[in-house]
Amino acid sequence: MSSVQGTRPAMNWRTISIYGGGLTALIVLFFVSLCYGEASVPLHTVWDALTGRQNTLEHNMIWDLRMPRTVIGIIAGGALAVAGALLQTITRNPLAASDTLGINAGAYFIVVLGAILFPGVLNQSPFLFAALGGLIAAFAAYFMGGGRKSSPVRLALSGMIVSMVLGSFTSALHIFFSMETQGLFLWGSGTLVQNDWSGVTYVWPWVVGITILALILSRQWDMLELDESTASSLGQKVGLARAGGLIIAVLLAAVIVSVIGPIGFVGLVAPHLVRLSGVRSNRLLLPGVFIWGAALLVGADVLAKMVHNSSMELPTGAVMAIIGAPWLIWLVLTRMKAANGSGMSSSMSTGAPSRRFAFGPMAVLFSVITIALILLSTMFGGLRIPLADLLPSLFRSDGLFSAVIQLRIPRTLVAAGAGAALAISGVLIQMAVRNPLADASIVGVSSGAGLGAMMVIILWPGLPMYLLPIAAIIGASIAAVVVFSLSWKKGLNPSAVVLLGIAMSAIAGAGIQILIVRGAVYGSSGYIWLTGSTYARTWDQVKVIGLFLVVLVPLAWWLARRFELLVFDDNSASGLGLGVRRTRLLAMTTGVLLAAGAVACVGTVGFIGLIAPHMVRLLTGHKLRRSMFLSALAGAVMLVLADTIGRTVMAPTEIPSGILIALIGTPYFLYLMYRSNWHRPMK
Amino acid sequence: MKKSLNGLLLLLVFALTLAGCGSASTSSNGSAADAGEGNTSDNTQTEAASGPVTVKHKRGELTLDKPAERVVTLEWTYTEDVVALGVQPVGNADNANYKVYVTSEAALDDSVTDIGTRSEPNLEAIAALKPDLIIANADNNTAVYDQLNAIAPTMEFDPYDGDGYNYDKMTDIFNNIAIALGKEDKAKQVLDELDQHYVEAKEKLAAAGKENFNFALTQAFTYQNAASLRMFTDNSVVIGTLNKIGLVNDWQPEKLEGYGFSTVGIESLSDVQDSNFIYITQPDDDVFGTAMKDNSVWKELNFVKENRLYQLDSTTWTFGGPISSKVLVDGVVEAITK
Repeated sequence: MSSVQGTRPAMNWRTISIYGGGLTALIVLFFVSLCYGEASVPLHTVWDALTGRQNTLEHNMIWDLRMPRTVIGIIAGGALAVAGALLQTITRNPLAASDTLGINAGAYFIVVLGAILFPGVLNQSPFLFAALGGLIAAFAAYFMGGGRKSSPVRLALSGMIVSMVLGSFTSALHIFFSMETQGLFLWGSGTLVQNDWSGVTYVWPWVVGITILALILSRQWDMLELDESTASSLGQKVGLARAGGLIIAVLLAAVIVSVIGPIGFVGLVAPHLVRLSGVRSNRLLLPGVFIWGAALLVGADVLAKMVHNSSMELPTGAVMAIIGAPWLIWLVLTRMKAANGSGMSSSMSTGAPSRRFAFGPMAVLFSVITIALILLSTMFGGLRIPLADLLPSLFRSDGLFSAVIQLRIPRTLVAAGAGAALAISGVLIQMAVRNPLADASIVGVSSGAGLGAMMVIILWPGLPMYLLPIAAIIGASIAAVVVFSLSWKKGLNPSAVVLLGIAMSAIAGAGIQILIVRGAVYGSSGYIWLTGSTYARTWDQVKVIGLFLVVLVPLAWWLARRFELLVFDDNSASGLGLGVRRTRLLAMTTGVLLAAGAVACVGTVGFIGLIAPHMVRLLTGHKLRRSMFLSALAGAVMLVLADTIGRTVMAPTEIPSGILIALIGTPYFLYLMYRSNWHRPMK
Repeated sequence: MKKSLNGLLLLLVFALTLAGCGSASTSSNGSAADAGEGNTSDNTQTEAASGPVTVKHKRGELTLDKPAERVVTLEWTYTEDVVALGVQPVGNADNANYKVYVTSEAALDDSVTDIGTRSEPNLEAIAALKPDLIIANADNNTAVYDQLNAIAPTMEFDPYDGDGYNYDKMTDIFNNIAIALGKEDKAKQVLDELDQHYVEAKEKLAAAGKENFNFALTQAFTYQNAASLRMFTDNSVVIGTLNKIGLVNDWQPEKLEGYGFSTVGIESLSDVQDSNFIYITQPDDDVFGTAMKDNSVWKELNFVKENRLYQLDSTTWTFGGPISSKVLVDGVVEAITK
């Protein structure tokens, strides 16, 4: 841990101030939290209730509705913060926390799954489900990120990917089983609302027990902070302490998620706040972390209650993300010392470069597949059109088949266009940040575009729909400008860009959640749109995506030769007389705009920008123009296929294309991540 | 070599998935087509097709060459209106949940084809039914209006514009749908009978000494262990209906609620604790029977202490038409005169 080394008296002073400050903040927030609620209770009544409770409505309200909510906030904030501190220690990674390692998402996914499959069992012991999910997710993130050889950034990245994967599975469950899961939606954003003390009663023995255990073992965690050689001379004890710490952290996070849902950033922010004071010993650190985590979460909840409107409650988790994400940005900017990109993930390869197939035949093969698939997809859907009737119907304007085809052609073309745009965008962004695991969704651009478009849909539903792509571009541009201007000083370092992108995604994602909660009455259509949908797209969207492609693809093509030099690391690229930053910025801008166009047309479909370029690279190697051409076709094929399957298998109910892409794409992507570590462990 | 194989393998998987979905589609659309055929005879019934009809809806006026016979409804409110007019739609959105939430007095025949969810109705399934009228809802279907209209003439209503779906809007939409179906006489009959029903209900209330009964009405459900209550406001069709039988709503929010209800938690009930509490919950989510039973705040509310709680049937649809209004009145009268 890179905490500040201070002299002993200074440390004591700081320790006192961090404890005192934290406790003061917590007590004040505790009281404020009791004062805020739907019914207006006068201040002195709150005080009366606290000092001498009587069996009146208002006193009961304070004691049995607001108090449990506040207390669960304290317990949850504290537990998540302690879990975060432990994870940071055992992974020696300042970016570790139960949310950045995918533990919260894993716990939540299994709980939702349990609610559908075994509702009875779930009610008895949600904790077991959550712990199982959390543990699986933590191991997945750890091993995909390269295990012990993983770099902080790498581990955070793989944790985020695991979260994304599980998040898309959870979305799928919400859509397929909307009846069984409808009560869970707000919970998905994390909420502290309590009916009574049962949540607290369930949680506190676990949290207190496990936290005390962590304190008793605090020396073991101190040992893990030693440098690698000293620690390894202690042999097995280190491994045991790591494993124990991981289990303790997962259990703490899981018991919380099973009661209040996944809430992020507490576990990341609180330990850093306390470490700022220079406290190093875990015996002192952990209680301080608990206090600050509690204060943070209760504070976020007070904010959530203050903006409560009469239609729905704002999720506490969303407020926490808005408070916490800037911290992630700050951490990245201050803790990442390696300012220039040399040495960090500078290769585009996920293994040795390969070029097994000649470009010519592959180009022909891909084109044939694409055209055949587009044609075939017009046969399938809620109504199947026999091949014999297909061609005649295409050129007629009357009859049932013709009417159906008139619906299918534009949506198929939109899918093809958006798939191609996302794939090309992926190629460009991967080149620009020189990270094979980046695309528009990972650097925060898709979320930004989604937030922009969502604002048009929910806040100003009266606005004409042609403003949607404009709003998406504005959202994407703002996200991109923030991410890239912040990482400018780091020479647009790939890792900085990706991590800032994660923070950006969290902020935009929180904004989208707030919009959904505020806008939702029937409102699942907005939610479905967000997961990426090719439902009912018209010639209008064909024109939009067509315009984006016509303007931007030639630009990308023209720039491709310059981009190719970026395959080399920064120093030699500069040596070749290339404005590294400027070229990256151009590649980036083009990629961002293409992604924004796709989001405006089909919502936030992820993964295509990651997978299509990979697939192509495996087949034909690194030539950028060729890769761009084949990736575009591969992206088109993927989204057309998802569209076709989505409107066919569960007809008349549609499966959003984004979900299908995630279900097809994520296993492949996880496998790629794993492979890239296996062959060439990153720093 | 391994790497290139991976890429090809992925392509193969895609191809196989496509082949798989091909076989799945055959069976599902076969039944849809059958159901469509079956329906034709049901609805081409008594009244002979007369001349052109013109109706008003959100997008202006719609003229049909003759009254519609094959109607597809994309929101349950309109489905219920159509059923009240003695017609079964050929297609309805989300039949399964319709049966859960909407009264069995407006039941759907088995012949009614499910055309997918209310938020994303399946356009192809609608086209396959060859409707001559589609009734769409502005909230969910605005974005697909042009496509719907290309399939068949489409009426679009927005019950929640302005001050919400109030009683007058309910009858207005009902009458417009009746015109489109050539059932104006039937509509008049339904509404007249409904008014007569109110008169009788008022008499029953008077007999029980419950005229000018004060109340608060809610539809409640659980959001992760916490009670979430939709408290209905004066600009909703349910409150408008209960006003017709002389009941007085006590839930008065500070601002206008566009959808006709405020979503609140248990704390807010202190505002209406002196009123009479009428509620609707689903059987598997009995918020007040189980979750609230031992809650100290709930137990301390006056209407709980003084036992002024009235539960309605779970299929009392709160956003419906004339049939729902009748069912609501019946349920409330029975509950409070018991």
